[in-house]
Amino acid sequence: MKTCPYCAHDNREGVFFCEECGQPLVGDQALATSQLAREERNGPRGQMTWGTARFGRESSIVVHIRNYAEPVTLTSKDQILLGRADQQSNVVPDVDMAPYGAVENGVSRRHAMIRRGEDTLTLIDLGSTNGTHLNGQRLIPHQPRVLRDGDEIRLGKLVFHIFFK
Amino acid sequence: MDEVSRNLYAILGVPPEATQDDIREAYRIVARRFHPDANPNEGADLLFRDIATSYEILGNPLERARYDRSRQKFKDEPQYFSLRVTPSKRVLGTLDEPQVLYLLLEVVPMRRNAHKKGREARLNLTLVLDHSTSMKGPRLDKVKFAAQQIIEQLTAEDILSVVSFSDRAEVLIPAEPVTDKVTLSAMVSMMRAEGGTEILHGLSAGVQQCETHLAPRLVNHVILLTDGRTFGDEEQCLALAEEASQKGISISAMGIGEEWNDEFLDTLASRTGGTSAYINSPSAVVRFLNDRVRSLGRSFAERLQLSIAPDADVVLESVFKLLPSPQPIDIHPQPIPIGTLQHNRSASVLIQLQMPPSTKTGFRTMARLDVTGDILAAERMGYKVLSDISLEISESPASEEPPLAILDALGKLTLYRMQQKAEAALLEGNVGEATRRLENLATRLLAAGQEDLAQMAIVEARRVASTNMLSEEGRKTLKFGTRALLALPEPGEE
Repeated sequence: MKTCPYCAHDNREGVFFCEECGQPLVGDQALATSQLAREERNGPRGQMTWGTARFGRESSIVVHIRNYAEPVTLTSKDQILLGRADQQSNVVPDVDMAPYGAVENGVSRRHAMIRRGEDTLTLIDLGSTNGTHLNGQRLIPHQPRVLRDGDEIRLGKLVFHIFFK
Repeated sequence: MDEVSRNLYAILGVPPEATQDDIREAYRIVARRFHPDANPNEGADLLFRDIATSYEILGNPLERARYDRSRQKFKDEPQYFSLRVTPSKRVLGTLDEPQVLYLLLEVVPMRRNAHKKGREARLNLTLVLDHSTSMKGPRLDKVKFAAQQIIEQLTAEDILSVVSFSDRAEVLIPAEPVTDKVTLSAMVSMMRAEGGTEILHGLSAGVQQCETHLAPRLVNHVILLTDGRTFGDEEQCLALAEEASQKGISISAMGIGEEWNDEFLDTLASRTGGTSAYINSPSAVVRFLNDRVRSLGRSFAERLQLSIAPDADVVLESVFKLLPSPQPIDIHPQPIPIGTLQHNRSASVLIQLQMPPSTKTGFRTMARLDVTGDILAAERMGYKVLSDISLEISESPASEEPPLAILDALGKLTLYRMQQKAEAALLEGNVGEATRRLENLATRLLAAGQEDLAQMAIVEARRVASTNMLSEEGRKTLKFGTRALLALPEPGEE
């Protein structure tokens, strides 16, 4: 039995969202795990729960795609196009998500852009069909948002984490 | 049913070179799982009939030899589609109470194996259009325009018929190949708004037209478009739909505006494997109809039917179709029509099962799934694929993250169900509960970034609290809005 932390409804084992109020029951735990991992990186509890936003000239970006063990190191270009390569329309993204199930996960050809600023990185959704989520929040297309170390990015349904090195 | 076209060995779960003893033993095992005396589930009964037939033939060496000989021509048959099943947990923990398990079933088209020079599916399409008085003005204008666009899309290889109805039905265009597009368009423009709405007349005339050109190599489909509620003939309409479905016709139902009965159109569509949709503005009619016809043109297999036979102690709780278009589906009667398999994407459904208390560790079977469909390009009728689902039960399963696809679909499905529950509570006169559920829904919608729908849920919660009623517009927007969250756009489109 799993008691909902929001409405105290007793849900059967195996239920992911409270059948009474819709509260995520398992996603919450997954969320807590990733939160914990972040805290471990940033020192003791209560100090900083967010990763640093500072991204120096010499830093590089490493991406961990969910369900794929091998991390991907991104090029150090000023603009990095994320999407899926498509021969018909001649789109060649800097990071091709096609090998990671881009099509099934609804990744657009030109999905999002990571842009290198003075000493920050920003993420911009390029008006993609299924949207770009940053830490669970959907981005408004063409509005840049600052990336932090350890952020979770979701293109359509493809989830990955970004780390600064 | 023609036994030769089916792989009876797969039904019993033995290889073709199995000995008679193997076959007897395999039959004993599956019969124990699915015999009606042992298994009360509806799907099991259906499946057992297949098993019994298979054993009758394979269990008799003479019959078996005859079957093997006539089966030769299917020896090199390619695989047209395959099933991919993802359970919400790979390993279940032992537990002395029931637990819920979800299965994501994807039917994956193997397009290469039925290629026919890029030809898209050919349609035998019937439009059944409401021209009652309430359609007057922009609604009817847009419907005419949409119908004319559809005529433009079709070719001489497609069959089209158009029926217009109010309290009577009129065959505007009898079923025929689309050759003289100008004349057909002109006939559509003759529609005038008059009379009431009686769906049965229109629907039966429409099904009749579709039947005249019924062919297994075609997509036989009726699209019903209405803005009104039909009185007294709903049961007859559903009976007609079921009859049509058995003949191989699927029906999609689209409602414009607020008046029409969504429960009824949902049932109508789900019983035939079609889809239902809510069109809130006249201008959206054109897009909805065109999208529908375009996706019919991408059909790879038609008349897909799913049977689910849980093991005796497992309960099938619900099935929801996710792709190609989100649709709640009735689990009775089986087999469940799930409609079209497009050549460019999988069809998928989410199945919810309740597992019994489990104390014994080790592997166990939990259900058998069976999908049958007609492959259009290969003109292969009744192509069938089975999948037996088994899982491990362990005392201390490693913690695993649930598959993202299931989590994602369930998160959204939960929103849809919350709206449904609020509506059900209100129907029972339970205003407090309905209000609370709508407020909860608003909270969840906001968390999901759906601000417009959340706003709508708040407004409706207040309305329910003060007037004990939902507005029709709000109710339909929430219902079809939360359902639409489950939709994914077609691959390859931006």
